[in-house]
Amino acid sequence: MTTTIDPSTTTPEPAAPATALPAPRGKQRKLKWPGFGLVSAVVFLGGLTLMAIFADYLSFIPYPDALIPGPDGRPGRYEWGPSWTAWFGTDGVSNDVFSKTIYGARTSLQVGVFATVFGIVVGGVLGVIAGYFRGWVDRVVMIITDCLLALPALLLAIILVNRLSDLAEDTSWLGWLSRKWTIVFTLGILATAPLARIVRAQTLSLREREFVLAARSLGAKPGRVMFREILPNLIPAILTVAFTGLSILIAAEGALAFLGLGVEVGTPTWGKLIDENRNKIDEFWWATIFPCMMLFLTVLSFNIIGDRLGRRFDIRQAGV
Amino acid sequence: MRYALQKFGQFAIVFFIVTFVVMVLMRLGLNAPGDPARTLLGGTADQALIDATTAKYRLDSNYFTQYFFWLKGMVTGDMGFSVPNSQPVSSLISGRVMTTLLLGFYAIVWGLIISVPFAVRQAYKRDSWFDKIGSGASFAFVSAPAIVLAPIVTLVLIKENTIGLPGPLSDYQITFGGWFPRVGDKVYPWQDLGEHFRNFFVPTLVLTLPIAAVFSRLLRGDMVMTLQADFVTLASAKGVSPRRVLWVHALRNSLFSLLTSVGLQIGGIVGGAIVAEQFFDLDGMGTMLVSAILSKDLFTVQSAAAILVASVVFVNLIVDLMYGVLDPRIRHARALA
Repeated sequence: MTTTIDPSTTTPEPAAPATALPAPRGKQRKLKWPGFGLVSAVVFLGGLTLMAIFADYLSFIPYPDALIPGPDGRPGRYEWGPSWTAWFGTDGVSNDVFSKTIYGARTSLQVGVFATVFGIVVGGVLGVIAGYFRGWVDRVVMIITDCLLALPALLLAIILVNRLSDLAEDTSWLGWLSRKWTIVFTLGILATAPLARIVRAQTLSLREREFVLAARSLGAKPGRVMFREILPNLIPAILTVAFTGLSILIAAEGALAFLGLGVEVGTPTWGKLIDENRNKIDEFWWATIFPCMMLFLTVLSFNIIGDRLGRRFDIRQAGV
Repeated sequence: MRYALQKFGQFAIVFFIVTFVVMVLMRLGLNAPGDPARTLLGGTADQALIDATTAKYRLDSNYFTQYFFWLKGMVTGDMGFSVPNSQPVSSLISGRVMTTLLLGFYAIVWGLIISVPFAVRQAYKRDSWFDKIGSGASFAFVSAPAIVLAPIVTLVLIKENTIGLPGPLSDYQITFGGWFPRVGDKVYPWQDLGEHFRNFFVPTLVLTLPIAAVFSRLLRGDMVMTLQADFVTLASAKGVSPRRVLWVHALRNSLFSLLTSVGLQIGGIVGGAIVAEQFFDLDGMGTMLVSAILSKDLFTVQSAAAILVASVVFVNLIVDLMYGVLDPRIRHARALA
């Protein structure tokens, strides 16, 4: 299905970036400073990552399960709104929402990054092999990606997470497979299909180039050609898709947690926070909206970086 | 025609593989004899009932036989029985399928209705303030999945807000919100159009905005490229009105990425619908599927997933055939192949 995803092969249109090119107004701008959006995205993600890593040692981040005493000195439900005591307010069990969002970032970023790495390795290898050998290998890989794309991603994720957790409980040799790694594995599978597709499309055009011909006529074996000659040229495309994919995976992790399929009980995540507090959103909006904003800003930042990379390397992402 | 049949075959293969894999996934780990039936029937079923169920759905045979009999049941309308809901799967699904289909349909249609005029104007007036604001907004909404939009929309449109004005205007207040019910009721358009709108507007909005943003970004990019093409200049030079150049000549040649994206976004829309249904307690396929997966209601999961996969595949088939409608070159190439 959706074999028409590669516009280069099926649809007759110029291979041009889907995103807006800077208007060629007579002269090319010479030195281009990174835009305000890109800088804020990098700063936000960097700051969030650092805080998430060192959350245990930073004095302004309480532990997520620490009870924050209310104005009357005793912990209670939603005692603080956004204030100096608790920046993002406190939630229904008197925990600090800011601390919970930071610890939630730890989970989301970890899951997103590991799943993306999984997707890059598996999808990249599948894509290169399919694009290089073509023929029946290509057909098999395309059927696999078609099938992965035909099943709505969130549905597949719910089924896989649920089933794998059950299996991990029942099967002795899968004991190491905690809920977090189940989610990583599941989202990694979801990330595989688009990566395999874009890598395949690029490999198809790269394999016709002269340097590949040169390597082959010098007697290089397919493995060497694929991984030493072609793969380095794929890095821009992979990087671009990886950043955009990362934003999708983080949103998917949020949705899974919201639906009750998050990481282990006791570990705060954004999706869980949204789910826990949404019934009280009218009076205590902060406990829902701040995790929402955190999720939104993270997704937005990854999208900005992905978009900028795509423009820089001229990668079409219509299909991803 | 031959191309259509070929595509149909390809999509049918995908459908069979995916539904088969869903079946195998749901049965993983249920290896002991009688296990699937015991899971289906819940904890306290007696042995006779387990044996009868096993025999009826061939649950002791290999996966291919089971799949065949399930498929046969799907075709003949006997999708099995859902014990947690104590009703046949077919009636369980038929009571909910319209909700999700309507949500998805509205999301795509409204997404196109909003995005196409926006993107065309953006591309036409490139780099104007309209274009810049539009691009920024669509970029923001691309990054706002259903789970982010739902709480925000709840605060703005569902909650009744009263905001006091500062300073000399403190006697006045702004009130807004409270226009839509908090819990979505399943009211179908043929029952009560107004109520249907009130109940479906918010979930639809949550699904539509990100989709519209994706569409308009793609279309704007392609449109900008098309407007620089020679045939557009030629059309203007011949004296074709700008409106016709824009909406007929240029738009038609810019629709390919958009079309591809409609097919690809279907899966995402289904995912968004699951979240939106859960958030607004709208009783549709999404909520049903989540609870069915959690309670290992095998037949419900299989049948509902099959319906969703079939709709995704169907939309993609339509998209593939639309390429030929849009572009005579593709049509002729296919006719020759």
